[in-house]
Amino acid sequence: MMGLFEAAWVIARRDFIATVYSRTFVIFLLMPAFLFGMTLAAGQAGQRADREAQQAQVALVADSQVVASLQQARAALVANTSDLSFPKLITVAPAEHPDIQARALLADESAAYSAVFTGTLDRPVLTGPAKIDDSVGRRMRLILDQARTTAALSDARIAVPPVSFERVLTAEAAGNLHGVRHLMARGAQLIIFMITVLLATMMVTNLIEEKSNKVIEILAASAPLDSVFLGKLIATLAVSLLGIALWAGVLGGLYLFTQVLSDWIDVPVAPAIGWPIFIILTFLYFTTNFLLLGAIFLSVGAQASSVKEIQTISMPITIAQVMFLLLAGTVVSASGGLLPWVAYLFPLSSPLSMMALAVQSESLWPHLLALLWQFLWVAIFVRIASVMFRQTVMKSGGKVSLFPTLRSNKT
Amino acid sequence: MGLAIEARGLVKSFDGKEAVKGIDIAVPEGSIYGILGPNGAGKTTTLRMLLGIIEPDRGTRTLLGHERPLEAARIVGYLPEERGLYPAMTTKEAIAFMGALRGLPLDVGRKRAEILLRENGLADYVEKPIKSLSKGMAQTIQLFGTIVHKPKLVVLDEPFSGLDAINQGRLESLIRDEAASGTTIIFSTHVIHHAERLCERIAIIAAGRIRFEGLVSEARDRLRPQVRLKTRSADGPWRAALPADAREAAGVWQFELPKSGIEPLLKGLMDGGAGIEELSIERPGLHDAFVAIAGEAAAREMDQPSPTELGVAA
Repeated sequence: MMGLFEAAWVIARRDFIATVYSRTFVIFLLMPAFLFGMTLAAGQAGQRADREAQQAQVALVADSQVVASLQQARAALVANTSDLSFPKLITVAPAEHPDIQARALLADESAAYSAVFTGTLDRPVLTGPAKIDDSVGRRMRLILDQARTTAALSDARIAVPPVSFERVLTAEAAGNLHGVRHLMARGAQLIIFMITVLLATMMVTNLIEEKSNKVIEILAASAPLDSVFLGKLIATLAVSLLGIALWAGVLGGLYLFTQVLSDWIDVPVAPAIGWPIFIILTFLYFTTNFLLLGAIFLSVGAQASSVKEIQTISMPITIAQVMFLLLAGTVVSASGGLLPWVAYLFPLSSPLSMMALAVQSESLWPHLLALLWQFLWVAIFVRIASVMFRQTVMKSGGKVSLFPTLRSNKT
Repeated sequence: MGLAIEARGLVKSFDGKEAVKGIDIAVPEGSIYGILGPNGAGKTTTLRMLLGIIEPDRGTRTLLGHERPLEAARIVGYLPEERGLYPAMTTKEAIAFMGALRGLPLDVGRKRAEILLRENGLADYVEKPIKSLSKGMAQTIQLFGTIVHKPKLVVLDEPFSGLDAINQGRLESLIRDEAASGTTIIFSTHVIHHAERLCERIAIIAAGRIRFEGLVSEARDRLRPQVRLKTRSADGPWRAALPADAREAAGVWQFELPKSGIEPLLKGLMDGGAGIEELSIERPGLHDAFVAIAGEAAAREMDQPSPTELGVAA
């Protein structure tokens, strides 16, 4: 008999070559860039559109000197923040009765004013509903303060030069480090989660195709089903690593030769465990996370007879996986307690949780233990997957043991 | 000579219904062995149990001396009833891959694949993808994949189904060549004449049970040879020499050769003035033996195409 790994290698090699030379791989390679680009563009455009839609307009019904002071004050404040941080100030010529004019302006839907400013710098009046006090009211107060301070300084003939810091540079600040690492841990978890789910679905689809074109019968007659499943897991993992390596290569190339992304890539904060070990651990935890989830997808997905059925079957698994992601997220946010320990120990949340730990803690030994623990569960899950497949899909009853070696030793 | 396959009391149920009800099979090494039976008789389930693709509920089987069939996987070739190949693979790669699954190094597999294709007049197909081939051609490629690693035992499940006459002839030659080189061949079929032409031993299976297991000649010998007689005289004392169940149609008498043999029959006919015009003794064919063993109903079902031939996936 071919050994478990020998047969798995034959199957993995075939699957790897077939996938890499397929259109699916090109889509797999392009999809993250496409998704990233779309999210970025949609996010930025959407955010700007939202903020613009939310930017209030205030009608200035005052004499020209007051209007000029307020516009200058706003411009000074905007110079150090952003235009969207303050309401737009629209000048409106004063009428005979300012209070009546203010109410008319607020009722005019085509103008869409949130408030109306009347009066002077010393006796300002802001007309509008109470709910604008927190947003428009506060900002108008800032503008007024700025205008009045500028006027007072001008009257006193005092010139205040613009502030400039004397900068003392340090490598890092603890507060900044904490925030960035928090983001880094969450980001790493999310990326691994996304790639894993994407790949696991791809792998199960491939298995269903083999079921439908009857290749599975040939495989099952030639090699143990454990090898078939292991081979498929290894192949998909290798495909993903190749994809990641290509992305890393492209980004690295851009960084080295164009420097276009240097500001973005040059993250000043290193994970607590250090970049080299963090990169190795990322690879290892991605591997175990994929193998664990992939084995479950294979065992459940193999029961399906069509790609359509897979979508139905895999939905609860994906939902469960999201729960595990949230559980792993407690490691990042919780300051102690039982929940993070559950996250570290539960096999399906362990890789993502340990990933976060690598960002936040310097200790190496917990990772060695965790990896042993996770690989043990990979073996168990693959075995369960193959037994389930044999029992339910191949309709093979009889004496199929979860642990044949243990059984044969016992007998 | 030892046994390539030995199975005792194999039983298998699906969803509470017994598909195979205690099958015993003994396949001698180096023989061509046929499993005959109508669709749904339990042939495929039996072969899958022998190969370890599915586990029997009860019974034992030994494959080339191994009680766990997968332990013999390197020296076994298997062509399933429902053919399975990767459509995007070239013929050469598909054959080599099937060999690799049985432990043959890929580069050796590729070389042997080329030789197999060239020797069988298919040199133009070496780099053709499977998806561009006809069904019969793809089946031939899968058969090459089954034997590329030079197995000691080849198991073929309904190998002739879906093949045209030319490819059936090619397959028969290939089976004979493999057997001549010492390989044991076991195949299932619902077409009796393939088994009759190729096999030394057969098992007749119907409704999940073995009805006969032994040499083809033994199956035939279960029936007495048939005598056909035409006489010049329509009636006379010679009629007394005929057995009681002799039947006459259009002046031709037909009956089983009496156990006493041909000589007393001939003497009775000649002495009784029959005036023998024609007399022939025909050995019964396997089809007749099958009808006698498995029954008319099973024989009628044998003539029906299999689900695979009809394009129905199980």
